[in-house]
Amino acid sequence: MSLPGLDVRFGSNVVRLSAWQWLVTALLLVLVMSLVPSIWERIEPLEDGADFRIPYELSYDYWLYQRHCRRSAGRGDVLVVGDSVIWGPYVTRQETLPHYLAAATGGCRRFANLGLDGAHPAALAGLVNSYGADIAGCDVILHCNLLWISSPEHDLRKARPAGFNHPALVAQFYPDIPAYDETLSRRIGNVLDRNVTFFAWANHMRASRLGGHDLPTWSLDHPYDNPGLALRPTADVEADKRHHPPLPWSDPSRGIRRQAYDWTDLEQSLQWRFFQATVAALKERGNRVVVVVGPFNEHMMEAESLAVYRRLRDQAAARLRQQGVACCVPPVLPSELYGDASHPLARGYRQLAEWLVRQKEIADLPAGRQVADSVGR
Amino acid sequence: MLFHTWAFVAFFLIVYAGFRLLRGTRAEMPWLLGASYLFYGAWNPLYLVLILYTTSVDYYAVTRMARSRRRGMWLAFSVVNSLLVLGFFKYRHFAAENINLLLDWAGVPLAVPVVNELLPWLTADINSSLAAMGLHYTVPGLGDLPVGISFFTFQSMSYTIDFYRGHCDREPSFIRYATFVSFFPQLVAGPIERSTNLLRQLGQVQPITRTDVADGLSLFLVGLFKKVALADYLAQYVDKVYAVPGNWHAPALVLATFAFSWQIYFDFSGYTDMARGLGRMMGFRLMLNFNNPYLADSLGDFWRRWHISLSTWFRDYVYIPMGGSRRSTWAIYRNMVLTMVISGLWHGAEWGFVIWGLLHAAGRAATRKLEQTSLYRDRVPRPLKQALVFAFVTFAWIFFRARSWSKAWTIIERIFTSGWGDPQFPILAMAMILAIWAYQHAYESRWGRGILELAAVRVAAAIAMAVYLATFIAPGAAQAFIYFQF
Repeated sequence: MSLPGLDVRFGSNVVRLSAWQWLVTALLLVLVMSLVPSIWERIEPLEDGADFRIPYELSYDYWLYQRHCRRSAGRGDVLVVGDSVIWGPYVTRQETLPHYLAAATGGCRRFANLGLDGAHPAALAGLVNSYGADIAGCDVILHCNLLWISSPEHDLRKARPAGFNHPALVAQFYPDIPAYDETLSRRIGNVLDRNVTFFAWANHMRASRLGGHDLPTWSLDHPYDNPGLALRPTADVEADKRHHPPLPWSDPSRGIRRQAYDWTDLEQSLQWRFFQATVAALKERGNRVVVVVGPFNEHMMEAESLAVYRRLRDQAAARLRQQGVACCVPPVLPSELYGDASHPLARGYRQLAEWLVRQKEIADLPAGRQVADSVGR
Repeated sequence: MLFHTWAFVAFFLIVYAGFRLLRGTRAEMPWLLGASYLFYGAWNPLYLVLILYTTSVDYYAVTRMARSRRRGMWLAFSVVNSLLVLGFFKYRHFAAENINLLLDWAGVPLAVPVVNELLPWLTADINSSLAAMGLHYTVPGLGDLPVGISFFTFQSMSYTIDFYRGHCDREPSFIRYATFVSFFPQLVAGPIERSTNLLRQLGQVQPITRTDVADGLSLFLVGLFKKVALADYLAQYVDKVYAVPGNWHAPALVLATFAFSWQIYFDFSGYTDMARGLGRMMGFRLMLNFNNPYLADSLGDFWRRWHISLSTWFRDYVYIPMGGSRRSTWAIYRNMVLTMVISGLWHGAEWGFVIWGLLHAAGRAATRKLEQTSLYRDRVPRPLKQALVFAFVTFAWIFFRARSWSKAWTIIERIFTSGWGDPQFPILAMAMILAIWAYQHAYESRWGRGILELAAVRVAAAIAMAVYLATFIAPGAAQAFIYFQF
């Protein structure tokens, strides 16, 4: 009803829907948004290699990560979860820890590389909560990288000059993360992205087909290309390459020196709090979890830092054990087997894998019993 | 807080829920006013003082006008105050720079100081207090143009003038009047409402029907698509080319100018559609601001279709009071030119806007008589007239977009002298523009409208727009509206 004498034109050429048409539109939209990701999953091939890892360029493609989780869990793989230490920036996909774990078992078990570059504990907690539901009940080897408590910046209590990894995965409103400075809109958007599969799928399309851009920006870079061709369903294959040259940290060309770290106490550490939340979430879902703490590159530390590090490492392991979480603390690798502060090189991964499969904690995993049998324990 | 952000969606859902609950109660207007001030304060809380000041002065002036025999004096007080506020916040740099240029040219060893930021100590004090309280919020400096100042000042002025002329009654409620001036859907970029429309609606409780909600959603979705999918897309190409026009050849410069024509239309009309949609969902009918302006077949027709709320404002409060079209031929042309120049200057304190206004004034002056001839009306094919008007309007946009005479001249010169070069204009953008243009034409034809108004076509179009926005537009890529800067 309008006011008497009030004559305001509706619009010039607007798509005007009635209430019923809006209802139909909403229902159809829900249908489309529910079906499209699962249909796409059926038609888009996913590379089936044993050593598949999320391509580096798609590190922010959580829909793909979720799909990788689902497939790996479906195959009964032992899931190796963590940040870039698991992903392996200095190695090819045939030189990662999961690869060598499988090799150390004589290939009788598959180990899936669920490492995600840059996934610090606060992000890992979000990743596991929002995209890891499909790995419930699986055997999980979870890596704990103490790099993330090596300074207030890494611990997210101060902004890092290098920026904030995986902002969409961290807690958006609570608990407060001082280093996370984002607009309210972005935070709400991130919550929606994590809870509406269609948005995660749309992000996958942009990340995998459009070089991480939206369609308009992509078309400016490819003005005469047909977007339809770019959006074809094809497998996301990572070129079998290393992300960094496989040089030890001590190589003079790297220019890396021993460092002093401003370690954060576990009591005060945000990242440690998030790591524990990740462990708790996995255990709540019925996962059998073994945490691997380190091995951090102790050769790269100044003496004072080393002492604090060892204390923190042992504290972390002790706390996890107190909480009933199986935990391994591998010995430090030889200096030349590290690419930097926390990432081993290929031989380092092999050595670590061979050590790990001999540990009781791994052997106690139901899947690990097979592993132990195969290595003659 | 931009309409196309999640923060606004959350804000609106809360405001709307409260509004529906409080509709018809005494708390309705305070709720709307609070929401509007919260919306405006999100840009800079200190500018709330400004809008409150403008509102209070105009409200007071009308109150006094109602009781006084010296109505003209109170009108002058209100208008001068509004113009001073607008002049200070919007034109002080422009005025100071040009006065200094003039003084320099005349060899006078004086200079007017340029005030870049107002009360810097105040914002510094507030920010240090906020930091001391551990709050992660910084009040922006008072250097930038207060967003929407040209819109709410004109809206408030129209009320005092209308009251003076006897076109509207005095609004007894200050809260309602303040809500009229600051009504958040149209506060920062119009449509510039009249008291005879919006204030009147605010004073009456009308039921909000399903049709209102459906219409509001329709307007909002179309506006969102225009802004996010089209305007922001074209903006990327336009910005790239206009940033360094010397690096581009004629095809790119022509296409960027062509793209800007559509960008500004989609940007501004998209905002207006969203504003009208939000208003409609709350049961308020904001005025139509755009009516397919690029289908205009004369410049007069263009100005009846483009930014209608501003054009009619200038017509009613500037052109007609100067005598309008009822004076001598010379006076008519003088009024026309003055109105267009003021309109150009309204957009911004830069010479590019003045030249843009002058160009339109010249165009109107040159074609006014022609448009009235039967030769033009009946013999020239309409598509040709539309193409000519579009070409002229697009040419004038060069000055609007380039802002400065020198940059605009570089662009024009290079269009004619730089020869061929790959424009790198996306075929996707061209396809979208052509599709919209064809849609507008089809909508104006009987058969086309018949098809486009089929229920299945509308539903399919709404779904297509929503899916496109959700899939292919990166979240968080929201860009401000062009007209926010005015």
